[in-house]
Amino acid sequence: MSTVKTALVIGAGPAGMEAAVKIGGAGYRVILADRADSLGGTLRQLCSSFPRWEDPADLIAYKTEQINKCPLITIKTKTTVVAAEKNGNGYLVTLGSDGLTSEIQADAVIIATGFELFDASVYGEYGYGSFDNVVNSLEFEALLKEWQENQGKTASPGTVAFFKCVGSRDRAKGLPYCSRICCMYTAKQAGLVKELFPDSKCYVFYMDYRAAGREYEEFVRSVIEQRHVRYVRGRPAKVLPEDGRLLIRAEDTLMGMPVEIAADMVVLAAAIVPGPGTRQIARLFQIKSDEYGFIDYNRNEPAKAGDRVFFAGACGFAVETLGAIQQGAAAAAEVIALFNQPNGEEKNA
Amino acid sequence: MPDASGIETQAFFKTIKLDAIDDSLPQEIKTACGVDVETCLECGKCSGGCSNVRIFDITPRQVVKLIKTGQEKPLLAMDALWACVSCQLCGDRCPAGIDIARIMDYLREKAYQKGIKATRYQVQLFHELMLGFIKKTGRVAEGQLIIRFNLKTGRYFKDADLGRRLFLKGKIKPFSSKIKNREDLRRIFQESIEREEDQ
Ligand SMILES: Cc1cc2nc3c(=O)[nH]c(=O)nc-3n(C[C@H](O)[C@H](O)[C@H](O)COP(=O)(O)OP(=O)(O)OC[C@H]3O[C@@H](n4cnc5c(N)ncnc54)[C@H](O)[C@@H]3O)c2cc1C
Ligand code: SF4
Ligand code: SF4
Ligand code: SF4
Repeated sequence: MSTVKTALVIGAGPAGMEAAVKIGGAGYRVILADRADSLGGTLRQLCSSFPRWEDPADLIAYKTEQINKCPLITIKTKTTVVAAEKNGNGYLVTLGSDGLTSEIQADAVIIATGFELFDASVYGEYGYGSFDNVVNSLEFEALLKEWQENQGKTASPGTVAFFKCVGSRDRAKGLPYCSRICCMYTAKQAGLVKELFPDSKCYVFYMDYRAAGREYEEFVRSVIEQRHVRYVRGRPAKVLPEDGRLLIRAEDTLMGMPVEIAADMVVLAAAIVPGPGTRQIARLFQIKSDEYGFIDYNRNEPAKAGDRVFFAGACGFAVETLGAIQQGAAAAAEVIALFNQPNGEEKNA
Repeated sequence: MPDASGIETQAFFKTIKLDAIDDSLPQEIKTACGVDVETCLECGKCSGGCSNVRIFDITPRQVVKLIKTGQEKPLLAMDALWACVSCQLCGDRCPAGIDIARIMDYLREKAYQKGIKATRYQVQLFHELMLGFIKKTGRVAEGQLIIRFNLKTGRYFKDADLGRRLFLKGKIKPFSSKIKNREDLRRIFQESIEREEDQ
């Protein structure tokens, strides 16, 4: 067994990448495993980032460079964990890649497996899955990327309506919680449409807009005031195909009046939910998940999930990129503090 | 009168003294309908998709809000009570699963018992005529019902064109047959009348 301790980081989104950079930088070995074929996680799918309109590709490139420069970090893409068992002061972990398996000894584990989007087809009234022009928010990020790349060569999308809280704040058919980031990314998406196509019309249907974060309120206000995105308070009730377009019915709850919009596209800000990968990893390491499947934390220890197992990012709950990075750093600090103990023993284990 | 945008101006605002309201109405609705209005997110999804909101004076969301604020008077006097067709779309889509149709039913019954009449649509007359038909034949004879309703309200040819089109498409029939088991039906009416008297 090597004397330099090894941390296994599962998931190479912003949270996992940050954790790897910090642990590697502190002089410990890191195995950074992701089932995808490249680093970056969900950021690879995003067009621009709130609240500073930054290109997520820049962040990925920056972190990738840091990782590549560190000889202690081993990247394992197209790789996931297939088995894990407690082994002394750590875990014997079986990694699987393209049908091949290999075993490693991990002295600590960080789970950073991210999230997925709620399946919006649950709402028959919105027609996701039936109408072509009803898309979810990640599908819309891909469209935005395409439009941005072909700027000036694409026709305006016309009228775009954004529905917030789809699957969130719904105890009947969705989840009772607020997904926390969709107010912000919806403002971003609508703002981008208006920037790329000033003659387009964008309507955001909202119950509340939640912009509790540094520069967030200013961001949403700028989208409303400078980019002229129209905010309509009310949760839409129905999308009807009409003359090749989409007729939206809702109540403007501030006026207490029914309203209609004929739109060309509807974007559903689907809830953030834990993905199957997170459930699987939680089972393998026998750690607690909450009732929704997000990794639960130990009391008084927000980054700790279990014995030598820590977590960061959206596998713990919906979080924006900055928060995911901060959590990655916090989980790394836990691992470094643990590894710095004389025998690698946990003080409060 | 609605202006170009469709907005009707309302009279004067009356201040509601929130702290003077107790929670007896929400409690009553909870007991009678099994609905907890406190779970309402005030999102308006119910109103946006309501089948008949265009002829409502108070939207379904506002109905729930008025219950929260204990405003029984406007609730029993509203036309929405009689324009609601119990289609259940509102409750079906409500993120809190609030059964507004059930609330409407309950309030309608209460208003009826208090002798409060709909002001705008004479829907009460419509309900009475319809129940009369059911009582007699076990069925609703739509064609006759519409004609009788229009005769009583003095709008003799109002639905003539619509009626002709529905008739041609086979949606309504000029005469209705009677159901077989009219004795059972008589019992249903009898029992519900007795139950009402018991209350
Ligand atoms: C439509 C949309 C727009 C957004 N826009 C913004 C924005 O503008 N600004 C912003 O700050 N945030 C934005 N976000 C949020 C941002 O995507 C997240 O904050 C961020 O991706 C979370 O990082 P993460 O590392 O926790 O998870 P992820 O980025 O999801 O990464 C998780 C990684 O784990 C891997 N993985 C999962 N399971 C396994 C497994 N079992 N084995 C191996 N690997 C696994 C996945 O392949 C993935 O690479 C947006 C989100 C959405 C949905
Ligand atoms: S963040 Fe906004 S859009 Fe998302 S669930 Fe919360 S309130 Fe709804
Ligand atoms: S849909 Fe349900 S939660 Fe929303 S306003 Fe109507 S009753 Fe309240
Ligand atoms: S049940 Fe009544 S209130 Fe509800 S949608 Fe139907 S008509 Fe509207």
